[in-house]
Amino acid sequence: MTDIHTLAGAYALDAIDELERARFDRHLAECPSCAAEVAELTETMAVLSDATAEAPPPGLRAAVLARSAATPQTRLAERRPAVRRPAVRWQRLVAAAAAIIALGGAGAVGYQVASNSAHSHNAPASAESKKIAAVLAAPDARLTSAKVTEGGHVTVIASPSLDEAVAVVARLPSPGLGHAYQLWVISHGTPRSAGVLAAGSTSATELLSGVRGAQAIGVSREPAGGSRTPTQPLVTQLSLT
Amino acid sequence: MTPEPERTLERPQRPAPPDLDKLLYSAAAGDQGAFAALYDAIAPRAYGLIRRIVRDPALAEEVTQDVMVEVWRTSARFDSKRGTAVGWILAIAHHRAVDRVRAEQAATDRERRTTTASVPFDEVIAEVTARQEQLAVRRCLQALTGIQREAILLAYYGGLTYRDVAERLGAALPTIKTRMRDGLIRLRDCLGVALG
Repeated sequence: MTDIHTLAGAYALDAIDELERARFDRHLAECPSCAAEVAELTETMAVLSDATAEAPPPGLRAAVLARSAATPQTRLAERRPAVRRPAVRWQRLVAAAAAIIALGGAGAVGYQVASNSAHSHNAPASAESKKIAAVLAAPDARLTSAKVTEGGHVTVIASPSLDEAVAVVARLPSPGLGHAYQLWVISHGTPRSAGVLAAGSTSATELLSGVRGAQAIGVSREPAGGSRTPTQPLVTQLSLT
Repeated sequence: MTPEPERTLERPQRPAPPDLDKLLYSAAAGDQGAFAALYDAIAPRAYGLIRRIVRDPALAEEVTQDVMVEVWRTSARFDSKRGTAVGWILAIAHHRAVDRVRAEQAATDRERRTTTASVPFDEVIAEVTARQEQLAVRRCLQALTGIQREAILLAYYGGLTYRDVAERLGAALPTIKTRMRDGLIRLRDCLGVALG
């Protein structure tokens, strides 16, 4: 056994630099007893985490679920992109559906839309949840997702046959004081408001109506309460075609 | 052909108390409901740990989000023969948090070359030691020698390398390396942590 073995503790504590880590990883691959020791020492530190547990910020759950829904999972075996491609899209759609339903069910996101938006918000949330579920289950539902340059993601699941879409806005940068994000359905180059998030809100799940024949869904930053037409360049735009 | 995950769109019933290993395996099979339940069970521990290390709550939120998405993305790598789901997830959380702290530290160092580590790690150490509600953990931490305990907690919550720790404690490198390892082994044995 070499001197490198004494690094097991420092390794379990992440108390080494990347170069040493890479070297020790190679060592672990050839030394099952070292790997077992590192595993137990890592578990040992995990036991301490009960003491520092604290409630995470309330918006984090929805953001994590929305983002994971749009993130394909790494498979261990076979990597054959050509074969996997259609399955991946289908899996992502189902994952997104499950996540969004989980969100709706838990009431974690809520449908934070100001009163001037296109669709009715007087309807009970459960009616909207049902509509969202219908969009996600629609055979022609298509999922598109875009990473926003400044941070965050927007995912849209659109069903032309139902004429509706679900937009999941996750962890955009703060729109700033007195501002809000607004969603737009874009047909033939003309944007129509599809809802305004609550002022300052950076994550939400929205049901959008009238998407049949539309070419894109856009998101812009607007004064709180929204605008008639986008007053600023779109933060992101997702093609529906 | 591998069987597809269940195609139900309803949320699965949540077991109580949840078996996190099972939830992580279900998440690896694409089950978002299981992943949501896993999040509920582990997020307080992950967020609390990350916040102790990165300090800033907004940064901690960002890192926790990245960690949980990584857990989802790479969940197929989890193997319960090599550790528990809690251990696996918190190891990812710790690694990411430490990465962030070191990156920020490097950026600060570039700005001003004065490396006066002014972060009050001692507070964290005191808090971690005092707040252990499980008597066993507190007792086991106190059973370590002073240098073992300080080396472990400084590294773990301060994001320091063993070199940094050696410098801070004014001890030789091999001594710190050894103290980290034998301290952790003593802690493991005292807590009765065993795998397999």
